[in-house]
Amino acid sequence: MGGASRNDKKRRQEAANQRLAAAGIQVPAKAANRTPLIVVGVVLLVAIVIGGAVLYFRTTANGTAAAPTYTATVSGAVVTAGTGKVVVDTYEDFLCPICNQFEKRYSAQTVDALNSGKISVRYHTIAILDPSSTPAGYSTRAANAAICSVSAGVYPAYREKLFAEQPAEGSAGLSNEQLVAFGTALGAKGDFAGCVNGGTGTKAVAAETKKAIADPALQTNGNFGTPTLAIKGTKVDLNDSNWLKNAIAAG
Amino acid sequence: MNRARALDVVGTLARVGLAAVWLVSGALKAVDPDQTFVAVRAYDVLPETGVELVAAVLPFLELALGLLLLVGVGTRIVAVLSAVLLMVFVAGVSQAWARGLSIDCGCFGGGGAVDPGNTAYVQEILRDTGFLVLAAWVIVRPRTLLSFDSHHSGRT
Repeated sequence: MGGASRNDKKRRQEAANQRLAAAGIQVPAKAANRTPLIVVGVVLLVAIVIGGAVLYFRTTANGTAAAPTYTATVSGAVVTAGTGKVVVDTYEDFLCPICNQFEKRYSAQTVDALNSGKISVRYHTIAILDPSSTPAGYSTRAANAAICSVSAGVYPAYREKLFAEQPAEGSAGLSNEQLVAFGTALGAKGDFAGCVNGGTGTKAVAAETKKAIADPALQTNGNFGTPTLAIKGTKVDLNDSNWLKNAIAAG
Repeated sequence: MNRARALDVVGTLARVGLAAVWLVSGALKAVDPDQTFVAVRAYDVLPETGVELVAAVLPFLELALGLLLLVGVGTRIVAVLSAVLLMVFVAGVSQAWARGLSIDCGCFGGGGAVDPGNTAYVQEILRDTGFLVLAAWVIVRPRTLLSFDSHHSGRT
């Protein structure tokens, strides 16, 4: 319908109304239909509330983290934390943003379970994101520092610190001086600086990374990524927020 | 089929097409909230709390827009909101490009930092522009077939 014919129609309508008014007949004004507007508003509001609720439950599910008191030993690039009988294999890269998200979400539960001896975690300290820092190699340097922190006696707190201070992908990453300073602040014993700067664990990290990538049991659609968790050799579904409770219950 | 009817069909396709875009992109974001968080953070625009909020609400906002367009209720206003959101996306991608960040837009899931050689800013912006054209059509001519609006306006 063109603009001209529309105006024409409107004019005729007005003329008709005027004739009706002249005859003393009141035409009730047609109420504007507000239903669609209300529906749109309600649906959008519901969407925002759902989003907020999801955020709330995801952030409060973790609880408050206790200070880690569990023990840690290292073999190659695998740090065994705690002594519980349910063994969780965790593959993580300290530059991996989703590993950090995962850590934020489950650290309190995990630390509790480790502290109370319900589980032990084998942290496979690997480096798949070396090309994602500029210059490349932050993942390996951070992984090495984490391994150094085991013999320095500060691994549990140091590992948390590396995630808390995680640099952005594409950045230079934390410098070796910073990596050393974190350990020193936590009371690292022995030659922690020498271990970090000397890259003592670098080879073990490379070997463990290669092994993890090649393990078909750890792949999703043929690809290996971090974080990956496995219990008794079976990959854990990380979208299941009860994975840890279920694993403890299953023994 | 007369001309008005043909235009109604085109409008319907635009409306349902845009609905499909929102439903798919919203669903892909909603099922992987951690990935969505990483994608939003990669734009490096918002502070941490802002990223949390946007990452939590955006997937459901997209699903809501998709649902409203699919049903065809308040078609014009929803198309306007869609266009606004698409322009925000284009602005986000453009600023990342201009600042030399290397990110994936995370438009349909995924997202986050990528290798500098693997960015696709031109394609991402062109794709969003295509969606904007759909929204623009519906804004200019919101009359479509098989919609709540057409059944309740008294002129089907």
